[in-house]
Amino acid sequence: MFFKSSNITARIFDRQICTPAPGTSVHYARKFYENLVPSYTVYEVECPDHSFRKFTDDGQYLISFSRNLQELIVYRPRWLSFSCKDEDCDNHDLPLKAKRFESFFTQLYCVPLASCNELICKDFFLYMESNKFGLFATSTAQVHDALAVGGAVQGVPSIEKITFHLLRLEDGFVLDEKVFCNDFVNLAHNMGVFLYDDLLAIVSLRYQIIHILQIRDSGNLVHVRAIGEFCREDDELFLNSNAQGMALSDKNKQQQLLGNHIDNNIHQAQPNPGNSFLSGIKQRLLSFMFRGLWNEETDDTLRVQKIRQKFYFHFQDYCDLIIWKVQFLDRHHLLIKFGSVDGGVSRHADTHPAFVAVYNMDTTEIVSFYQNSADELYMLFEQFCDHFYATSRNSMHMNFISSHSNNIHALEQLRSIKDKASSSSQFMKKMLSSLPFSCQSLSPSPYFDQSLFRFDDKLISATDRHKQSTDHPIKFILRRHPYSLRFKIKPGPEAGSMDGRAKKISWFLFHPVLPLALSVQQTLIMQPPLVNISVVNIHFRR
Amino acid sequence: MDSVLGNWPSYDPHNFSQLRTSDPSRSSKMAPATYHSIHNRDVPPADQVINTEHKNILLREIYRRAEEKIDLIALPSPSQLTPKRAASDNLIPEHGSKQPRVST
Repeated sequence: MFFKSSNITARIFDRQICTPAPGTSVHYARKFYENLVPSYTVYEVECPDHSFRKFTDDGQYLISFSRNLQELIVYRPRWLSFSCKDEDCDNHDLPLKAKRFESFFTQLYCVPLASCNELICKDFFLYMESNKFGLFATSTAQVHDALAVGGAVQGVPSIEKITFHLLRLEDGFVLDEKVFCNDFVNLAHNMGVFLYDDLLAIVSLRYQIIHILQIRDSGNLVHVRAIGEFCREDDELFLNSNAQGMALSDKNKQQQLLGNHIDNNIHQAQPNPGNSFLSGIKQRLLSFMFRGLWNEETDDTLRVQKIRQKFYFHFQDYCDLIIWKVQFLDRHHLLIKFGSVDGGVSRHADTHPAFVAVYNMDTTEIVSFYQNSADELYMLFEQFCDHFYATSRNSMHMNFISSHSNNIHALEQLRSIKDKASSSSQFMKKMLSSLPFSCQSLSPSPYFDQSLFRFDDKLISATDRHKQSTDHPIKFILRRHPYSLRFKIKPGPEAGSMDGRAKKISWFLFHPVLPLALSVQQTLIMQPPLVNISVVNIHFRR
Repeated sequence: MDSVLGNWPSYDPHNFSQLRTSDPSRSSKMAPATYHSIHNRDVPPADQVINTEHKNILLREIYRRAEEKIDLIALPSPSQLTPKRAASDNLIPEHGSKQPRVST
């Protein structure tokens, strides 16, 4: 095996003559990111006071919201362009105008999304790459002690109005809106909504319905089905028509009885299918569990014993399970997480027992059902993690995000955590608590590719969550020869912050394609005046 | 040494001394024999169509495990396997029809 140079010129020559091994053309091209890194930092850029959300997955737009969370502002990322007349340009400092936000981003438009009493949910954004549509959400204030009326689950808060806005990002035109009234959808970090290709699944926690919508090319949001109380489209019609028949026959019986027994007060309650039946999805789940347990034994007495112990003993708990979270596995299958009411809205859902089911929307059958700490589910998670991310087949680069199923280094990291864990079932439960995954929560930037760079994932990672921030720069070290430090990302001011004890959090927005990243560091000052100081740095390849 | 490789320097000049590719009598022996299969197992069926599986690998694995569980249940447990007995010649019992209840 001959040694391939890591020099960029040598790599370009190699690219001219060598064909990469089959199926590795993306990985081969990505090696260039070892040479082109965002090593230069512009500290404390003066930028508009917006809440920057993320770059779209194709790198065309930067999404941000106004500080009052009423308006959407979209920027186009562009590169610096200036000319230098001197001969030795590299040693010159950048001109002053290069250190401005406007040199890197051009504002395209500013669109008001929220009306007076609504706020844009700043952690919610979904991007449909094929049509360049963006989905945003606005909501009114949350009501915590909402009454459980009209089929709502007790204990889930209610929001008076949640609106999903579908926008064409090229010009900010609002294409369609979908409103949910007196409902609750978990909007933080896209948890209650999943986008796969053109299908959108919205989980109404309050009414326990999974709404499946389709985003048409014209920009319309079309309702496809609602899974929850009813599974098939004609279930409701069937039950209602039977209910009418039952109501009529009961009325006749009532009249007869009253005629015969005038003295006895016999009241026949009107049958109400909504109250006496369990919801469609719950019936599917319970019957699947029953049949599974029944079929495990062939001896009748053992069967009955098993059913009594494992099913009927916990029957009420199973009936009280609610849908927590949903994701698509493909166009026909959903991965649904069930749990108790307490865990549905709490932040620390790990302590509550949870179950995961695979549901086929077309046949309306449950395919499999696991407890949250099941070995089998963990094996599937370990081996096929990247298929759980359910990225659309149309989007190429989203399919190359590093996970422990497609990257040896990530797998080694996972195995080392597993070996260090004190209890294997606790470890499995912790890993599986991330299922179902939230949609578009990972950055496709090649700088997070574990086969290229090694970095401390407590300080920075592909997930778009806030991380603890330190004054030390975050190092990105090459995985391959020569295993050296390649570049550093330092959030916050260049000299470090004034108060070392103040709690600082930071988050990073990496462009998916260009060697460009934004880091935002927020210092939370606890003492009055309660102020959040935000520092924005731009990291790029000079 | 007169070979296709020419007079290139080599570590040991005798390495390629056996090679005589310019020799026409050897060239026919150098060509490997074409393999003709003697069985008909690798003839594909006439209506075979190869295309991409629509279900992704995760779902295939989930369905496979679910079907495995059903198949395991369908297998009789070892304790219940009894040796087969030949059916009796008179398959219809003595009383081939329902009998009236014996009145008490």
